[in-house]
Amino acid sequence: MSGDEDKDMLAAEYVVGTLTADERQAVAARRLHETDLDAAIIAWEARLSAWLSEYEPVAPPPDLRAAIINRIDRSDIRTRLLSDEPVKLRRSLNRWRTAAIGGYALAASLIGFMVFREAPVAPSTERFVAVFQSNDEQPVFIMTIDLKSRQIVVRPVTAKSAPGKTYQLWIASDRLGDKPRSLGLLDDPSQPTRKTLPYEPDLLQEATFGISIEPEGGSPTGTPSGQPIHGRLIPTKH
Amino acid sequence: MQSTATQLCDWLALAADGDRAAFSKLYDASASKLYGVILRITKDRSCSDDLLQEVFMKIWERASTFDRDRASPITWMATIARNSAIDEIRRRTRELQTADADVDEVPDASPRADVAMELKQAWLRLESCLETLDPEHRDTVKLAYLEGLSREAISVRLSMPVGTVKTWLHRSLKRLKECLLE
Repeated sequence: MSGDEDKDMLAAEYVVGTLTADERQAVAARRLHETDLDAAIIAWEARLSAWLSEYEPVAPPPDLRAAIINRIDRSDIRTRLLSDEPVKLRRSLNRWRTAAIGGYALAASLIGFMVFREAPVAPSTERFVAVFQSNDEQPVFIMTIDLKSRQIVVRPVTAKSAPGKTYQLWIASDRLGDKPRSLGLLDDPSQPTRKTLPYEPDLLQEATFGISIEPEGGSPTGTPSGQPIHGRLIPTKH
Repeated sequence: MQSTATQLCDWLALAADGDRAAFSKLYDASASKLYGVILRITKDRSCSDDLLQEVFMKIWERASTFDRDRASPITWMATIARNSAIDEIRRRTRELQTADADVDEVPDASPRADVAMELKQAWLRLESCLETLDPEHRDTVKLAYLEGLSREAISVRLSMPVGTVKTWLHRSLKRLKECLLE
């Protein structure tokens, strides 16, 4: 089994809940520093989250709410983990829409879904994660980026391969002009794709990323053929 | 009246700004769901009472990190509850689900009636992929998720060595992932 597969299975078992206490603790510690493990955990949480709907509600004892509020009042442990870290990476989708106009109906609207991270501990300004999602109920890809090394890993969550089609990764930034630039193809959508990007970290931090479906070999025009699904970078918070 | 996801998001945002009234509304709207998650995993009411307090303290502390563009609020909170419950039962090293008699069977599979259509579709897809697994083991994968079963507990349940459990668990999870990608 490859290292990626090992890590993916570790993430899967962490999410399912079958690991021992020591193993869970080790994974929780590792995900603070290993963005690909963190992304794999997020992806598995998304894959299996529909089963959360099967937990039946049970009314807790009525005095618990007051007990919790009292604890909050007594404690001064409140932390605003992200308040001093503005997320500069939120960008308009207009760039993509502009680039995609040309005979293609806009893809269905983008709907927020249930990929999330839990338990943020220490914000990092070097590692980011982006979720690429379309109108489906689950993310299509999750990308992690390490600004320092400029390395990205794009992992499929529900991406499907189709004959004669390929996925293409794009970057858009005011500093790169009006049109998105290609970052290459995601050759095998069932496997993680690793790339080292040829841009400076400060540009990458300001950029937005998109993934489009293209004919085999990539976009014939040099711009996304349809409306790409977009990914918004968010700092890793573990 | 059932709270909408938008209301939950709004209350989380207000709680992130220190609004205790909004946090109380959030509690009223979600506590029974989270308590249900915790109780199913711990099977211990006293422990669940303590854990529910811990979970809502975490939600209060981390409310500012919730991102409505990326997360369903109830899923975000339920995952905090689920992880906390699994961590707790592992920490106590008490195998509360070691014997078949202590393990609930998988109930009639269906999402709760009040869940959104999108979630129902996600659930149907997950269930259809589960159907592609070995019939002998497919229920156990889901039960492990719902109840936080350890490999050891599964080993007892299926009467197979722990190493073998790991092997089929990995095989099943890979198959599940492949199916969801198809």
